[in-house]
Amino acid sequence: MRNLLKECLAEESGFVELRYHHKESRSFFAERGRVESTALRKRTGVGVRVLEAGTWGFASTSEISKSSIQNAIQVAKKAARLSSALRKDKIPNLPKANFAVGDFIGKGIEDFRNRTVEEKLKLVLDIQNAAAKQSAKLQSVGCGYSEIYEEKAIVTTDGADSFFSMVRPEFRVSAVAKEDGKMESGSHSIGVTGGWDCLFRSQSPTEISDEACKTAVDLLSSSLPEGGLSTVILSPSIVGLLVHEAIGHTVEADFVLSGSVAQGKIGHRVGSDLVTLCDSGYSEYYEGAGGSIPVDDEGVIPTNTVIIKNGILSSYLHNRETAERFGVAPTGSARAWEYGDVPLIRMRNTFLMPGNSSLEEMIANTKDGYYLDGAKNGQADATGEFMFAVQKAYRIQNGKITDLLKGVTVSGLAFDVLQNVDMVSKEFKWDLGSGHCGKGQPAKVDAGGPYVRTKVLLGGK
Amino acid sequence: MDRNSIEKRLNDQKDLLSNLVKKAKSNGIDQVEIYSSYGYSEDVSLEKNDLNNCTATEENMFGIRVIHEGNQGFIISNHIPSLYQSIEEAYSLAKSQSTPDLDLVLPEPESIQNHFNQYDASLDTMGIEDLVASAKEALGWRNDLYSKVNIDSGDFSLSKGYKLIVSSKGVMAHELGAELSASVMGMGVDGDLVGSFDYDSASGFDKTQFQTLWKKAFMNFGDKCMGALYAKPISGFQGKVLLPPEAVYSFFLGLFIGSLNGTSLRKGKSKMAGKLEEKVASSLLSIWDDPTNNSFMGSTGFDREGLPTSKKPIITEGVLHTYFYNTYEAKKAGLPKSNGCATGGAQSLPGCGPKQLQIAPGSAAKDEFFKLPGKTLFVNRISGTKDGASGDFSGVIKGGYLLENGEKIPVREVQIVGNAFEALNQIEAISKEGELLGESSFVPYMLLDGFTITGVTEE
Repeated sequence: MRNLLKECLAEESGFVELRYHHKESRSFFAERGRVESTALRKRTGVGVRVLEAGTWGFASTSEISKSSIQNAIQVAKKAARLSSALRKDKIPNLPKANFAVGDFIGKGIEDFRNRTVEEKLKLVLDIQNAAAKQSAKLQSVGCGYSEIYEEKAIVTTDGADSFFSMVRPEFRVSAVAKEDGKMESGSHSIGVTGGWDCLFRSQSPTEISDEACKTAVDLLSSSLPEGGLSTVILSPSIVGLLVHEAIGHTVEADFVLSGSVAQGKIGHRVGSDLVTLCDSGYSEYYEGAGGSIPVDDEGVIPTNTVIIKNGILSSYLHNRETAERFGVAPTGSARAWEYGDVPLIRMRNTFLMPGNSSLEEMIANTKDGYYLDGAKNGQADATGEFMFAVQKAYRIQNGKITDLLKGVTVSGLAFDVLQNVDMVSKEFKWDLGSGHCGKGQPAKVDAGGPYVRTKVLLGGK
Repeated sequence: MDRNSIEKRLNDQKDLLSNLVKKAKSNGIDQVEIYSSYGYSEDVSLEKNDLNNCTATEENMFGIRVIHEGNQGFIISNHIPSLYQSIEEAYSLAKSQSTPDLDLVLPEPESIQNHFNQYDASLDTMGIEDLVASAKEALGWRNDLYSKVNIDSGDFSLSKGYKLIVSSKGVMAHELGAELSASVMGMGVDGDLVGSFDYDSASGFDKTQFQTLWKKAFMNFGDKCMGALYAKPISGFQGKVLLPPEAVYSFFLGLFIGSLNGTSLRKGKSKMAGKLEEKVASSLLSIWDDPTNNSFMGSTGFDREGLPTSKKPIITEGVLHTYFYNTYEAKKAGLPKSNGCATGGAQSLPGCGPKQLQIAPGSAAKDEFFKLPGKTLFVNRISGTKDGASGDFSGVIKGGYLLENGEKIPVREVQIVGNAFEALNQIEAISKEGELLGESSFVPYMLLDGFTITGVTEE
């Protein structure tokens, strides 16, 4: 494929970027004793991006042939020329980058290929059947397995020349429990970049199922916490949501240029000394983080970008265009969801670095607060105000965990929350690998970190 | 790409898909359905108060469903030369399963009464140059009227295409469509002050309709961003919330509508199970589904299974009248056929839901809501979470106001917690004025009482 793309570029003189992308997504879902759906989604094409007359032009084609790709290059050039008159802030050129050259084959691909459809169907059906028998209060249990296999080739006129592939499996269980007209739901999911063994390395399918079912049943007897500003200990999944939503989005350089709260704050204190925050294309600490990429969608080798070092904001996340504007090197953060999508600056694996405390010490040192666990969804704002939803909130009183409370929305101002971090655990976990981030396009990301104690606004009664 | 070439492509594809279905049948694959979605679009995007990118994209997606002895396989592909191979793969997926349900069948064809022509040929004279001109105009509005509003992103799109469904049971339906659309997202920035995000969008069948609606949407966006710029924290209270149409539709009503889904009902996940013809909401509330209005953007004559759509009451004065079914869920519910409420497109299996909700206007004057005594929280948007089973929702208010003694105070760091099913009975008043959201659903303002509002300051 790299050769075909290079052939298409042979006579091009300006900047042209060709991105071949083949994606196969398989999903299997069982509920109420039967396989409810099996689906295979295949999408293939080439995205063409040109920089002409100081602006971008983009076109795409699902026909993988030299003539079709070359036609798309001409369409993209025409689009750029037509729009050039309006663009004020012209892009003079793109900076040199640490381009990927060669083939990068991801781990686990053979593993998932060698497992049959029947094996995957049996997994979801067996887990679902076993889970549904756990409690008479369980109204419904759904179990799903899915995997995304992708291969990409990225070739540019200024030096990128790579092929890479990866597989991202996910496993999820959701349960609904009912009692006396009250309904509650629980869910648990995991996702990795790698094979089947990597997926179930820290928890077996049964353990994942047990956790979802227990949450749904336990929440039947829970109530809302008191609302207000509270001391909280956040589990790694919640820390992941916090650093992704509250900080990660505000330091995406396109967003910074639009006026996010992180604008002009490089070198400023934005968190306590205990806070060191990174976003990496690799899977730090251990393999399998769900947002890992060997090459970004501009053909650049990704870095481990230190965003905050001991509380001081030190870097934004860049593509080639914003790196040029800021006079820094690209961080390898440009990502596109499908071949027909233009690469955007996106997070990869976002994490807080671990500290020195243990979770037990943190709980024992908390007189009045909450332990929050089970990430649901989250969103952030230009202001740095964020919200994320949690499944479960445990009351902490006098250093001990007491009642389970219904999880609610948690919010705060990103930098205030980081300034209030006063304990960070030594344990570390990736825990958002089954998540997708939305920013016009979806993106597979992961996030995590240690347990963290801080203050947030808890919604409640 | 113009109407003639799209029609030619459609006609050629009808023949192609019909032949593939025939070939499958002759090879022993009895139940095959192919849903095709073709689109050509030209787009101009904005970023950082400037033009960002111009794109041209074309794609044809196919959703292929094969049912074999009560088991189903589904393949999505954009590769026309291998479509027959995809049919065989879907068949293989169906055969690999061991949990058949004989209620799972493709629907028999039905006559489609409403035929829509939502492709205005005047759009064929337009192209990227016109989109660039629209972008230039919008950047001019921003510079002249809203210099403190930063456009984070925006998009102008001219899109054309068709949807087509063909099945081995004889279903054959298609519709052409074309539209101009635009959206904008951004926030107010004044020195170190940054306001909440907001956004707005508009679409139209032709240039004149689009331009009128887009200008209104952009001004609404600018006003919302400016309104959120100087927001302050407040203390919490128990009381009334005022929901504008967007908030009514996107958050509060969405949970309730989801509970009328045939799949949720069958799986015991819906609190609305067994409530047909019962009073489930305030008598002030009446809702119906109407995909048959030719002047609405989302109207269509057929659903995801190629069956005819129709206008139907959902709630009349608080009494629930219907659930939403596709063919499978209708059979599971013991009904003779679906009610034309299969949702989705080429990239999804048929789900269940409404097409175009309409909420009956009330009798209250919207402006009076802003002059109520005591405290009322105006909820422009909720950034939060909701649980379909319990109906619980909670979130942060974005671009909201505290309405107090005739004053409109922009607020931040405020959370709201509630339950959608209880909220149906907390409706105190509905306005006679409203908005046509997405140019397809009429939604009024609603005033509700009895909510917990959490703030960060002390009283």
